[in-house]
Amino acid sequence: MAYSTFNKVKNDALKEPMFFGQNVNVARYDQQRHAIFEKLIEKQLSFFWRPEEVDLSTDRKDFMAMADHERHIFLSNLKYQTLLDSVQGRSPNVAFLPVVSLPELETWLETWSFSETIHSRSYTHIIRNVVSDPGVVFDDIVDNPEIVKRAESVTRYYDLFIEMCSEYSLLGEGVHQVNGKEVTVSLSSLKRQLYLTIASVNVLEAVRFYVSFACSFAFAERAIMEGNAKVIKLIARDEALHLAGTQHMLNLMASGQDDPEMVAIAESCKDEVIEIFREAAEQEREWAKYLFKDGSMIGLNAEILSDYVDYITNVRLRGLGLEEMFEIRSNPLPWMNAWLVSDNVQVAPQEAEISSYLVGAIDSNMDDADFDDFDL
Amino acid sequence: MSATVTINKVQSFVYGEEFSLLDSMEEHQIPVTYNCRGGYCGRCKVQLTSGKVNWVQDSLVSLETDEILVCCCVPDGSISLTI
Repeated sequence: MAYSTFNKVKNDALKEPMFFGQNVNVARYDQQRHAIFEKLIEKQLSFFWRPEEVDLSTDRKDFMAMADHERHIFLSNLKYQTLLDSVQGRSPNVAFLPVVSLPELETWLETWSFSETIHSRSYTHIIRNVVSDPGVVFDDIVDNPEIVKRAESVTRYYDLFIEMCSEYSLLGEGVHQVNGKEVTVSLSSLKRQLYLTIASVNVLEAVRFYVSFACSFAFAERAIMEGNAKVIKLIARDEALHLAGTQHMLNLMASGQDDPEMVAIAESCKDEVIEIFREAAEQEREWAKYLFKDGSMIGLNAEILSDYVDYITNVRLRGLGLEEMFEIRSNPLPWMNAWLVSDNVQVAPQEAEISSYLVGAIDSNMDDADFDDFDL
Repeated sequence: MSATVTINKVQSFVYGEEFSLLDSMEEHQIPVTYNCRGGYCGRCKVQLTSGKVNWVQDSLVSLETDEILVCCCVPDGSISLTI
């Protein structure tokens, strides 16, 4: 089924499934089959922020004063997050837009992906501030075996789904010969891969990001790298919303409220979804060891961070109605919650530091040279 | 009309017109997990075992029919919760 950028067939989007129905034609939002995606779009738009709104000048001094092993923790996390958001800034669009059938979901995918590009821009903002040559940090993302290993499992499901969609779009269902290789294309295996891909994205946003978040907030608990923590707090707020989005897609499919065929597919994917969670938790624990290989930081070490991985994995499994897989019941990092509380609670400005305080503020980087033209 | 909120069958308090059930629970020192207070993180999800609630803000997370987000609703009469 070839993709059309404007499907000429008059269709009723209220009767279409989320994916693999007719291509979307009119981008209309006056009616929705799944109103939740419209609400997510509204919320995401209300969250809009720019990295430059957050002042990082003190972070530079903090970074200079850090021990080498703490710099390693800080920069490695940024590298990993850069990898994750590089993937997320493009993949929902590339993978899901060609097969989406609801206008509200199509726009949610675009809104979601766009917000991930803001996150990527914010990493450049942070890295440019703390190191003189950002290239050294960015280049290491594709050279560092610890990160490359993660990139493979983060992108595996997306890449296979995109390949299968290309074959479906070009050849249609059936058995085909492609470059001397036999390729079987079936809609049901595509739908199965779709479900697994969304589950792996859910794990990416629900588990993988949180190890880095914990480290960023642990620095800020010691009153260092606070500008970075403010940026990460904004990113964490967006990620919670994206996570709600993928959970909705998975639950709508599994419950039969969308495409009836997806109910059996979701059921048959259960074990593999649990395996995706298990693999991610395992990799994140390994990542924690790599972060702290040269030494721990005050308030956080590989063991506590691994416990947090187990705890957050359990929480996310419950969110999808799956059984918990780890023993841990209570949050080993209770102070994380204070950082994950959104700013949409109204507080008096003197009672809290507002993340967006610097909107439209003047440049706060000043040195003696700025006073050169002053005459008294 | 006052609304009594019963928690896990053992604890109860009277809802005092706070913005949300979460605010009311905090007012009465009931330990409850939350993150966003905006209806999208799902951390304050609890089971509504009896009674009805009115929603004061949209919930953006998947909920079963007997689940509520305490940051998003207020009691409509007396209710029981399992947390």
